[in-house]
Amino acid sequence: MSHAPTGLPFARTEVLADGTALVTVGGSWKRDQPLPEIIIKGDQAKVVAEALTDFDSSLPAWLYAHFKNIRQLDLSALPVRLQSLVKMAEKASSEHAQSDHDGLLETFGNWGVESSGSWGRAFEHIGHTALGFLRMLVGRAKVNWGDFTLQLQTAGVDALPIVALLGFLTGLIMAYVGLIQLRQVGATVYVANLVSLAMTREMGALMTGIIACGRTSTAFASQLGSMNVSQETDALRALGINPIEYLALPRILAVTLMVPLLAVFATFIGVFGGMVVACAGDLSIEQYLTQAIRAISFKSFLVGFIKSIAFGFIAAWAGCYRGSVAKRSALGVGEAATSAAVLGITFIVIFDAIFAVIFNLFDL
Amino acid sequence: MSDTPDILTCTDLAIGHGKTVIMDRLNLSLAPGKILAIVGPSGCGKSTLMRALGGLDEPLGGKTTLMGVDLAAAHGQERQDILRQSGFLFQGAALFSSLTLRENIEMPMREFLKAPRKDIRQLAEYKLALVGLADAMDKLPSEISGGMAKRAGIARAMALDPAVIFLDEPSAGLDPLSSGRLDELILRLREAYGTTIVLVSHEIPSILRTADFCVYLDPDTGTMSAYGPPKGFLQAGNSPKVHAFFSQARFD
Repeated sequence: MSHAPTGLPFARTEVLADGTALVTVGGSWKRDQPLPEIIIKGDQAKVVAEALTDFDSSLPAWLYAHFKNIRQLDLSALPVRLQSLVKMAEKASSEHAQSDHDGLLETFGNWGVESSGSWGRAFEHIGHTALGFLRMLVGRAKVNWGDFTLQLQTAGVDALPIVALLGFLTGLIMAYVGLIQLRQVGATVYVANLVSLAMTREMGALMTGIIACGRTSTAFASQLGSMNVSQETDALRALGINPIEYLALPRILAVTLMVPLLAVFATFIGVFGGMVVACAGDLSIEQYLTQAIRAISFKSFLVGFIKSIAFGFIAAWAGCYRGSVAKRSALGVGEAATSAAVLGITFIVIFDAIFAVIFNLFDL
Repeated sequence: MSDTPDILTCTDLAIGHGKTVIMDRLNLSLAPGKILAIVGPSGCGKSTLMRALGGLDEPLGGKTTLMGVDLAAAHGQERQDILRQSGFLFQGAALFSSLTLRENIEMPMREFLKAPRKDIRQLAEYKLALVGLADAMDKLPSEISGGMAKRAGIARAMALDPAVIFLDEPSAGLDPLSSGRLDELILRLREAYGTTIVLVSHEIPSILRTADFCVYLDPDTGTMSAYGPPKGFLQAGNSPKVHAFFSQARFD
């Protein structure tokens, strides 16, 4: 290949008497330069070279792009190595496929079909999980118990510091805001009732559920999603093992078990956080604790506990579900993790509202 | 061609994983435009040698030069420039999973070429057509077969018209027709651009068709036991082990 470029690439066309388009190419063809543009009419063409000094793959690429749809193409006047590079591409590819671009209506329709499909898959996943649980109870499911103990550790014990921090701050903030209001009516002692009741019934479970979504759902979605990418779930299926039973069930069980415990822990820490603020000025520790214990009934505790079981299940299920339907790409795994957190938090808030109505109906 | 400096050399090269040496005393040199095949039993360090030759991994000892540059002494920008002039096909193709095939090929071009977008697109389509993937340009790597991914990986290795291309098991997983076409493509690339090609392969017929030189890595001795034109390996000559490997593979 010559290394002395003498001029810019050029191409010109003329039509011969028999209707053949004669295309003359020449100059120095380099990928870093803008290439000439031509329009060829008809389905017969002949390409000749004139003062063609130098070329890299841009010339065969240009020839391929312009002449791939020409029925009778004569390249015999070109240098042999150039001919072979163009013919190689022609031979290797069959008819060039045109990509279809959807219109607005198709895009909307596809979105509708896909989203209804994704709800269908979500319900299917819940169904399979429930079925897997029943099969586990009768001892017929193959469950990875190693995963179960590992998740007790990672989703439960390892979450203690962050749950403690956020629980403490939640209690502290509530006490702080509550005190400002209660001081106006001279009822600062009730700040203990406010904090303890809110933590027990609502905030303990809600905060822990949200933390589980951020920590655990995303982790599960990435774990199962990347197993999807590397075909590990296919390998399980091929071995006759149901991936939902083997992978999702131990995770869901571990988190459903650990989130209520973490919620109880968060509740205590939150009450303590409130005490720090309340006792810094207005109340004595004894006053605060007496009020707090008086405010918490078994019913309130039960309400928070039931909620936290549900929130734990939602967080774990969202992660496992989004992971199992993740697309097989790095982007797909990232999307699965994001959507697991979004799905989990949304469902937790929705179910919190539903629980509020139900507990109100049952006067709990 | 005898006065042309070698494009790739290694002197007393030692390679391995971590600190464990698996092959040493490796001495090779390859003139531009030649095709070298690295063969040997599984796990003998073929891919590791190729990665060291291409400058992807640091060798445990010895010296390698690529395009006249000592790889151990090349750092930063100089090393990046050398790597840019070589193309790599990895064993698992290593396509970017969230990009379509066309985008996979366009990616290095967009980064390094100043050409207009339209011309880059044209180049990418041509490179994919060269490996027979003109119909699959808009597919994602997850939507194509392993053999197709291999071919797309080769197209990406060729994206920047490199001077040296390293191919790790290019024809593994390909049907005989595609494999034959790939051999032809390798020969054409060398013929048209003078590209130097280093390949790791188990396909003896393909090696006999394409390679100018062949190096056999022997795990028993921990070094290379033969270097020369592959046709010579078929004759019972210097090394009975190499002859047995080639003959066995040939008649399998």
